[in-house]
Amino acid sequence: MLKNRFLLFIVFMFVLIVTACSDGTVEESSNEANSEKEDNQTENTQTEEKSGGSLVLGTTAAPTLFNPYYSTDTSSSTIEGFIFSGLVTVDTDFNPEGDLAESWEFTEDGLRWTFHLRENVKWHDGADFTADDVVFSYGIPLHEDYIGPRGLPFEIIEEINKVDDYTVEFVLSEPYAPFITITAQFEVLPKHILGEVPIAELGMNKFNTKEPIGTGPFKFQQWKEGEYIELIANEDYYLGAPKLDSIIYKIVPDMNTLMAQLQVGDINLTGISPQYIETAKKLEEQGKVVVTSGPSNAFEYIGYNLRNELFQDKLVRQALTHAIDKEAIVQAILDGSGVVAHGPGSPANWAFNPDVPKFEYDPEEAKRKLKEAGWEPNKDGILEKDGNKFEFVLKTTSANEIRQQIAEVAQQQLSEIGIKTSIELLEWSAYVEQTSPPLWNFDAIVAGWSIGSDPDPTWFWHTSEIENGLNYNGFSNERVDELLSENTKISDIEERKRIIAEADAIVAEEQPDTFLYYVEGSLANAPNLHGPKFNAANTYYKIHEWYID
Amino acid sequence: MTTYIIRRTLMAFPLLFLITIISFGMMQMAPGDPTALMMDPMIKQENLAAYKEAYGLNDNVIVQYVRWLGNMIQGNFGESLIRQGVPVSELILARLPNTLILMIVSSVIAFLISIPLGVISATKRNSLTDYSITFVSFLGVATPNFWIGLVLIMFMSVHMGWFPTGGVATLGEPFSIWDRIHHLILPAFVLATADMAGLTRYSRSSMLEVLRQDYIRTAKANGFKNGTVIFKHGLRNGLIPIITIIGLMLPSFIGGSVIIESIFAWPGIGLLFVEAAFQRDYPVIMAVVVIAASLVVIGNLIADILYAIVDPRIEY
Repeated sequence: MLKNRFLLFIVFMFVLIVTACSDGTVEESSNEANSEKEDNQTENTQTEEKSGGSLVLGTTAAPTLFNPYYSTDTSSSTIEGFIFSGLVTVDTDFNPEGDLAESWEFTEDGLRWTFHLRENVKWHDGADFTADDVVFSYGIPLHEDYIGPRGLPFEIIEEINKVDDYTVEFVLSEPYAPFITITAQFEVLPKHILGEVPIAELGMNKFNTKEPIGTGPFKFQQWKEGEYIELIANEDYYLGAPKLDSIIYKIVPDMNTLMAQLQVGDINLTGISPQYIETAKKLEEQGKVVVTSGPSNAFEYIGYNLRNELFQDKLVRQALTHAIDKEAIVQAILDGSGVVAHGPGSPANWAFNPDVPKFEYDPEEAKRKLKEAGWEPNKDGILEKDGNKFEFVLKTTSANEIRQQIAEVAQQQLSEIGIKTSIELLEWSAYVEQTSPPLWNFDAIVAGWSIGSDPDPTWFWHTSEIENGLNYNGFSNERVDELLSENTKISDIEERKRIIAEADAIVAEEQPDTFLYYVEGSLANAPNLHGPKFNAANTYYKIHEWYID
Repeated sequence: MTTYIIRRTLMAFPLLFLITIISFGMMQMAPGDPTALMMDPMIKQENLAAYKEAYGLNDNVIVQYVRWLGNMIQGNFGESLIRQGVPVSELILARLPNTLILMIVSSVIAFLISIPLGVISATKRNSLTDYSITFVSFLGVATPNFWIGLVLIMFMSVHMGWFPTGGVATLGEPFSIWDRIHHLILPAFVLATADMAGLTRYSRSSMLEVLRQDYIRTAKANGFKNGTVIFKHGLRNGLIPIITIIGLMLPSFIGGSVIIESIFAWPGIGLLFVEAAFQRDYPVIMAVVVIAASLVVIGNLIADILYAIVDPRIEY
């Protein structure tokens, strides 16, 4: 009988666990355990105060290698930013700011850029940083043996000249305003270590994974496979020794577990995706974390393949946009953490044009426009033109839950105006292959774009980007081409702003995409970590000044 | 017996060979390739082509397979295509011990809990105890592993603070056995739950079968104590079929470890495999496939051998 009771107890406990976790009632009973933990934490931090403590940065994606000329993923470039320094950096509003270069100037024709380098900068191994390192680094992607993903932005560089030990001159083949952001994005590598490595083998060199040496605020310590990457403070950092002792870049593949680790203090900083913003806000109410949010430099959209006859009429594309309730998507799927979009770009950067033609949610208007374009409902209520039904496949990647949900909402809303869609979910690599050149095998996709430090929209909308580039839609507009070709040649920011705004307005009128929303990003950190504040431009701006108290 | 073992071992090789052919073919058939991750506004077509050329991705699948097989036989798993320049063997060696520890501890937990439960269930057939065990077993079968894992993390780690929230060891602490065990308990338990339910049911029916035998009745009639009859005469015989299950459980442990490792941030080969699969890191995928397949084959082999040892009636 005792055994029976024990079993019942187990079953009871099990039910208790299940219910407890669904409504959080266990919290009260476990306050004791928590406060005990907090006590431990404060004790720890007190002992750590004088030394600065560790930043434990949680992330779901492991990095690949630490060399900006070879890596493409966010985790790697984040860590590269800690180890290496660039000629310039950007502040939290995308304004370029000197880093390894103290100052720079360019000739009136925009072709010659001269950078005056900071003196007395040391590599982590003690060697001096000089102009040779810059010439070497920027020469990598220009080298004919280079095998890596970063060749394109360097194509405009005609010559790199060392003027003296602390002055470098770049000669460009044409004026290119975004050039300064290239120098911000690509950090400088040490020539005295890598100078002798054949360029064809540089991508596989153990420097990238075992012993990266930079000039940045943190030194590489170790990479514990599958667990974390440890960096320690560079006491000789030229902007002052970091206040933090170390950075642990911790890999936690499951986002739910990551949130749990944030809650108990196993990590003290992480980016929060929209699905978890509600959880993060709850933790903030309990005083466990601080959440900061802001527009991130990205937008989400439903993109139409303009090679497909269905989408060749502008009226039809506008009608599709009228049919989709973006506000509902933002509220229901993102819990409000996003801003309804009408055109390309992002409010996070200076080139944003809020004043574009808008096609608000209005199913009746959608039906009217489709009728004008010749689409009439048949007896089943499906739109038909010349005997063809309005049906298409909406593709997206299963790697992104939000996009899946958007696809479902869009399917539902399009069906209300008589358009039949089916959803096809593809795993990421497959999705990329299907949607990019030379296949372009899609009718419509739910996708998103992150904009670089320079808001140049050439990549997405210029006709020259159709064949091999990112203009997957196959969008082509003469005036837009003209404007975009002009935009990168102008160094005056107000003038560029005007030109990009005009191009954005035309794109918004044409609606090659149904622009859904501007993404909002969030960062959650432990309350005792001072420094991080979400911004789209440079999350880890001045990280050497961050500290834990 | 020795000839049997040798014969079985030799037979494992063509099997593994076949597995590699099928896996390699399927992997290549999957759309996309390692360069999908490099899709970036900054890539130049010439550089992309050079990358594919340098890593032999342009070659015919058969050529690629033969090259891979040739290297593998010499013990060279190649280098990762994504973590460029890092030998695959280095990635595997860093992670395999973690997976093995997790699997071994899990199976021990699964056996220690399930077999006694199965025996109790069988001896108290159709009692409330039996029904409760059956109920919990079915609940276990029906509940997804990752869910149990998350619930336990939320309850045991976050709310109660009894266990760490993941990983193999506390960050920044020197190595300690207790710390390792502390980190191991939850993931090992959750991985064990996948097979515990089935194992309980197996041992229950196996025991029932045995308890029905004449020699049990004889033993009872001879006046042996109930416990002696069940454990000495019953359990020993009842265990025979269970042993075969060890071999069958291995694949599910390997499959389960993929999920458990991800939930508990456990740096094992399951996690490595998932990452590699999404990145189309072919050499890493193949290395994990070979290792997992070998484990399963070895597991089956051991089960067969054990079977012969516990059951003297079996001859080869």
